[in-house]
Amino acid sequence: MAATQEKTKKNYLTAIREALDEEMERNPDMICLGEDIGLLGGAFGVTEGLMSKFGTHRVYDMPISEAAIVGVGVGACLNGKTVMAEMQFIDFISCGFDQIVNNLATYHYRTAGEVAMPMVIRGPAGGYGGGALYHSQMNEAWFAHSPGIKVVCPSTPFDAKGLMKAALRDKNPVLYFELKQLYRWSAIDEVLPDEDYEVPIGKAAIRREGRDVTIITYGQNVYHCLDAAKKLEEDNIDAEVIDLRSLVPLDEAAIVQSLQKTSRAIVVNEAPRTCGFAGEIVARISETAFQYLDAPVLRVTRMDTPVPWAHSLERYVLPSVEKIAEAARSVCRF
Amino acid sequence: MSSPPTKTTKNKTTKTAPSRPRDHLSPEDHLEILKQLYLARYFDVRLIKEKRRGRLTGTLYSSHNQEAILVGTLFPLKPSDWISPIHRDMPAFFLKDMRSGWENPDRMGMSIEEVCAQVWCKVGSPGRARDNWSHIGSRAKHIIHSTSMLAGTIPVAAGVVLADRLNGGDAVVLTYNGEGSTAQGVFHEAINFAAVHKLPVITIVENNQWAFGTPLELGCPTPDVATRADGYGIPGLIADGQDVFDVYDKVMEAIEWARAGKGPSIIECKTFRAYGHGDHDDDRAAKYRPQDEVEKGRSRDPIAVCKRYLVERGYLSNADALAFAAENKGAQEAKDDDFPPDVVAYMKKGVDYAIASPSPPAEEGGMWVFSD
Ligand SMILES: Cc1ncc(C[n+]2csc(CCOP(=O)(O)OP(=O)(O)O)c2C)c(N)n1
Ligand SMILES: [Mg+2]
Repeated sequence: MAATQEKTKKNYLTAIREALDEEMERNPDMICLGEDIGLLGGAFGVTEGLMSKFGTHRVYDMPISEAAIVGVGVGACLNGKTVMAEMQFIDFISCGFDQIVNNLATYHYRTAGEVAMPMVIRGPAGGYGGGALYHSQMNEAWFAHSPGIKVVCPSTPFDAKGLMKAALRDKNPVLYFELKQLYRWSAIDEVLPDEDYEVPIGKAAIRREGRDVTIITYGQNVYHCLDAAKKLEEDNIDAEVIDLRSLVPLDEAAIVQSLQKTSRAIVVNEAPRTCGFAGEIVARISETAFQYLDAPVLRVTRMDTPVPWAHSLERYVLPSVEKIAEAARSVCRF
Repeated sequence: MSSPPTKTTKNKTTKTAPSRPRDHLSPEDHLEILKQLYLARYFDVRLIKEKRRGRLTGTLYSSHNQEAILVGTLFPLKPSDWISPIHRDMPAFFLKDMRSGWENPDRMGMSIEEVCAQVWCKVGSPGRARDNWSHIGSRAKHIIHSTSMLAGTIPVAAGVVLADRLNGGDAVVLTYNGEGSTAQGVFHEAINFAAVHKLPVITIVENNQWAFGTPLELGCPTPDVATRADGYGIPGLIADGQDVFDVYDKVMEAIEWARAGKGPSIIECKTFRAYGHGDHDDDRAAKYRPQDEVEKGRSRDPIAVCKRYLVERGYLSNADALAFAAENKGAQEAKDDDFPPDVVAYMKKGVDYAIASPSPPAEEGGMWVFSD
């Protein structure tokens, strides 16, 4: 009996791979483009098995050109395909930047709605792994700042699979930031539903309920924030943690609702401070929830520096559990 | 290299040439070249062992089997020339300007201590461990600092020699690239500019047949990358990347061409990637690359090829050729006594220095975003 059989938990990477595999199966018009995604199965193994299953006409080992990967994807979308485009590391997306912000993002707008661009650009992102300047970036703000692209960033296996499915079924370009430190982190493995499901784009999740302060975050910082919330219990501070999951569109209602309860907030992201997405959230709160606030909203972000290599340096510039807890204490003291 | 467009010469044709650049090298130079091959190999072997022992962090992109390209391209340079190495060229940082003396503190290359401190992620690195492995450089030593973005430093190289010309210099710059990296748009953009202005940019393509898990034919539409030179009206040469003297000859030709104001060239060195893309890829590479292809690709060890030539030419006795047997050995098999003692001792100084060097103080993470 199925009921007696223990369901196996799956990791974040497997969740993404399953979503790709199931969508390739469901949608014969879907193709995959990326460097080393076929024969090798991807630098991290996310696309393992796809080429042998779906063939070299649906899974392309691309020359090392991010501009070609995105631009070819744009053309394929123009002619009826759904495209998954992999950036081997999200840092290399800058080499395809023009194709994304000027070609892909604006297509629907400048054709007065004639053309849709169902493309998902995904790739491993984030620091905390000693990857240094070019293997640690979180450059989501560049794309959130380019109208026409949705931006998502899952933190759990369940969300990773559900958001990938939603993204691949969306008619718009979606930038999908996956955290490489979460790929095989077994602490977050979970059982995934057997049935098909989507996690809707634009909906946040409350990861921890609390009364005193709202911590708004996304990506791997969710776990730093949950650890900080634990620490804050010692100070009798009951923190609520919101995992945005989607940045564009943003679930403002979830933020406002939480603030009505807590009246205090901090925002945490691992990208640099100036013009980072955390700043956007603070601005939205100021515009829509000012009346609920008892304290200014603080940000905990990377310093305005690149991500350096040596552990001592990397820790110094990135948000940490301690820095998050301290910011929460300080808004509660205000 | 008289008449552009392209003259793609294969190894064999140069053998009949009456006088090749190598023929002007002294017997000592010939032996020094062999010594440098040993050093490049030993550096790699030692790091692979250190990495396996868990003493290093980050990815190691082995240059095993590609050392003749590094030594053969760097040996012809003048101290003031510039280089722009990338991930697989770690030994280039200390091999540059070795001819001015391995121990010479004023030579225009990095010391082994500096390079090892970088690999060990210590503050003694020229980049103070801010970015990893090959992402170092030195303005003072004329070594361009790379990023991860493949082909991204070729335009920088063009800018460096543009400025050098404006300053009245006669330097050339060598940029190093894998064959896979030639697919980047900026590869074209930079060489196009250099060709328009006849800048002394020599693009070395280390064609090791694989770009991570992607074989040559899926990255390049032609088996020879050098033929791209045709489109720019510049020379495109093909060198036997296993033969240090063939590489040397071709680079000398390109340097003479460039210093004469005739402009850039592309030199494609045919070789084969001995291991995985990086050490993290060794196990997977054993699956995606056919074993017989790997064996064939590794069958002409550049150290063995060099030794054979030196013996043939009478620069090296048979007995001396047999004294050290590093060739045809993987990193795990090769022992210290397969290498000349001075090579091992030189590396040891670097390793000792690196281990003694501290990690960078945390506050440095916030420094040097802007200059004062
Ligand atoms: C712009 C960019 N895209 C992708 C990568 C990831 N990457 C690093 S090395 C590599 C393969 C390079 O192959 P090749 O140029 O042939 O050099 P080799 O490693 O074989 O020496 C790839 C895809 C990168 N560093 N930069
Ligand atoms: Mg290659």
